[in-house]
Amino acid sequence: MVKLPLDKQALSGLRVIDFSWIVAGPQNTRILADFGAEVIKIENEASLDYARHIASPFANGSPNKSPLHSTLNRNKKSITLNVMHPEGMEYLKELISISDVIVENFSAKVLEKWGLGYEEQKKIRPDIIYCSMSGFGHSGRDKGYVTWGPTAQAISGLTYMSGLPQEESAGWGFSYMDHTGGFYGCLAILMAIIHRNKTGEGQHLDLSQVEAGIGLTGTAILDYTVNNRPFRRPDMPPGNRAPERRIAPHNSYECKGDDRWCVISVTNDIEWDLLVESMGSPTWAKDSKFTSMESRVTNQDELDNNINQWTQQFTPQEIMKFLQEKGVPCGAVQTPSERVEQDQQLKHRNFIATAPHAELETTRVESIPMNMSETPWQMKTSAPLLGEHSADIYLDLLGVPGEELGRLYEEGIA
Amino acid sequence: MTSALDGITVLELCGERGQLMGKLMGDMGARVIKVEPIGGSDTRSIGPFKDDQINKNQSLYFWANNTSKESIEVDITSQEGIEIIKSLSKICDVVFEDYDPGYLESLGLGYGELSKNHPELIMTSLTAFGQDGPYRDFKSTDLVALAMGGQMHSCGYDDLPGAPPIRPYGDHGNYIASHYGLMGTLSALIYRDFSGKGQYIDASAHEACSSTTEVALPAYLYPPNKEVFRQTGRHAGTFPTAKTLCKTVDNKYLIVFRIFMDLSSWIALVKWMDLHGMAEDLADQKFKDMAANRTAGTEDGDYAMEVLRKFIATRPAEEVYRKSQELRFPWGVVRSPEENLDDPHFYEDRGMFTKIDHPELGNDVSYTYVGRPYNFKGTPWSASRAPLLAENTKKILIEDLDYSNEKISNLASSGVIGVN
Repeated sequence: MVKLPLDKQALSGLRVIDFSWIVAGPQNTRILADFGAEVIKIENEASLDYARHIASPFANGSPNKSPLHSTLNRNKKSITLNVMHPEGMEYLKELISISDVIVENFSAKVLEKWGLGYEEQKKIRPDIIYCSMSGFGHSGRDKGYVTWGPTAQAISGLTYMSGLPQEESAGWGFSYMDHTGGFYGCLAILMAIIHRNKTGEGQHLDLSQVEAGIGLTGTAILDYTVNNRPFRRPDMPPGNRAPERRIAPHNSYECKGDDRWCVISVTNDIEWDLLVESMGSPTWAKDSKFTSMESRVTNQDELDNNINQWTQQFTPQEIMKFLQEKGVPCGAVQTPSERVEQDQQLKHRNFIATAPHAELETTRVESIPMNMSETPWQMKTSAPLLGEHSADIYLDLLGVPGEELGRLYEEGIA
Repeated sequence: MTSALDGITVLELCGERGQLMGKLMGDMGARVIKVEPIGGSDTRSIGPFKDDQINKNQSLYFWANNTSKESIEVDITSQEGIEIIKSLSKICDVVFEDYDPGYLESLGLGYGELSKNHPELIMTSLTAFGQDGPYRDFKSTDLVALAMGGQMHSCGYDDLPGAPPIRPYGDHGNYIASHYGLMGTLSALIYRDFSGKGQYIDASAHEACSSTTEVALPAYLYPPNKEVFRQTGRHAGTFPTAKTLCKTVDNKYLIVFRIFMDLSSWIALVKWMDLHGMAEDLADQKFKDMAANRTAGTEDGDYAMEVLRKFIATRPAEEVYRKSQELRFPWGVVRSPEENLDDPHFYEDRGMFTKIDHPELGNDVSYTYVGRPYNFKGTPWSASRAPLLAENTKKILIEDLDYSNEKISNLASSGVIGVN
């Protein structure tokens, strides 16, 4: 085990070789980099990270202007290295010998085809932690199946669980399982590092994006295995209501403006009384149909209609501030611009971090969402330009003589 | 084989927002002591319940989120209760808590107090909005977190007039918060291994959710600075995209996208449709060209999608799913969670589900749970059932804190602790 230099970041001194691309893998290594690990993205012009292609209309063909790529790859380094060239492979192996972690989110078996499966990695670096993040894992009859975020959400059950009853699935309007698959990859690596630091042993972490999603359906699975009640039934999913908590009101409500909404979720009678008072104590609210939690749950349709009449008069931000001041759990359904421009809490917590960038001028990215007293987060660098750190890594880390580097570029090795 | 988190002890003072952190650590070998208020955690009253009988020890929601923990029932507002928490924190590496900001501090149980003479302690506070700032004292629930964080703005319908934004069901605001809180905590454990120093982590669900909306922020933050809008069952976008949900003959759905991905997959797909007499004119060269060039967003593409949609409507969902994956399309079947129990890849080959014993309900009673969310090849994942309320109060007080039986009975009769 390499003794790591100590500075004020939690993972300082930890080196990660990052083959990952698009969203799920880069989400994982972004967090490792944010905690201070040295994450080296292995790139190649012939097979660019697909996210580099998801560019803004102003990119003019540059691989360095993708907003999504910039968001997911801050604090990382980029080296161009052609693993298909025998010399490139040798440099990669040298890099592995001085690294702690390898991350990839290719389909199963890609690294084995390169001759770089876990057993081979171990020969180069006995305590290596290898995190593979494929759709279905590296074993089992469907290991060759492929997923994108929406695929994993659909198969795991998460898409089906999101929507109005009796309607098609609303699903997830973004790749939630790319984020969450990344989180589980990161959690696994962190736990494996704790184990390695204790025992000196590395291991293969075989992640499956679909399985990480299935992991979040535990309650629904038990309702089926214990009560024999499937989630696929006419009253589910429950829209924005909370049948499992038997509380009401618990829903979204229309507000002033085009497609503007707020949510209110009253968890006890005290909050209900505060809500009634906030609405100006309307007579309907005194009806016994609404005075107990149980009766409110029973009469939810009428309850929600009544509340909706009131919320329509105000903007979501007005409703939120007014009800929160009274102590009622409530929120605006915030748009991206509200989160960036109007959310006073996110502003106070420095939610948007910035760093200079050679082609985008400035990158603006969400911060890591926590304050750590000893190892605070830093936005050190924007996402790397393609190959930005090649020279540093070849010359300083791998000891390539200066006069050789030109040849590596010329011959398509670097 | 030793577990990855062997030897780590966690004190958990959490309800629904933070409970997953302790479960994930417990299932990987940490010892997790869950401190519950007198009467039990609120999460024990969240349904569904076994046999629909409301009972603190039979909430399936509680079971799912609290495996591999011990339970101690303590009134932490009493002087003796506070002493118990202080003493327990001394034998712990990590304290998790998700109370309102400042609450534990007001009881003398803040990080400053607990880390006195115990500087290695890591304490993670997982609140709704954080320990400071103008919304610090706002009230929140999972629904509020997913509204404020931006998830709901991206999830819902574009072809159901008047439909609201949708909160994806299933505690995901709590889960996103817990995932981030735990990542921070584990990184702090690694830092402690090298530095000997613990630390305090102030994490919030609001920031965690706000960081977990994929394209919504980059689309707004970079030119042309557009806001995404909701589309049924697929990505919210800054421009409309083709509908991906396709209904099948058995009244289920498939997610179908990237139909023009490569030429060989396309030819095989059209061949399959043709066998059923439903390929119409999709064998034409222009579609082959589109497949070879990965063309997207054209009228011909929309037309091909509609022909495909008609074909899929005549086939069962699982058949189309398997066939399309064999042809290398990344399509997925929209399953209800329990349908994964019938998938041999997950159930048999991968062992994704696990039986957990419930001896309290009778000899040989066990139930099938969701198993490991990751497959560690070197260190095992294993889960034991969630604790009964106060199941371990006595044992913990005797074995960890050297309390006498007499002291325990006195504390129990004065209502400071609950024993099972």
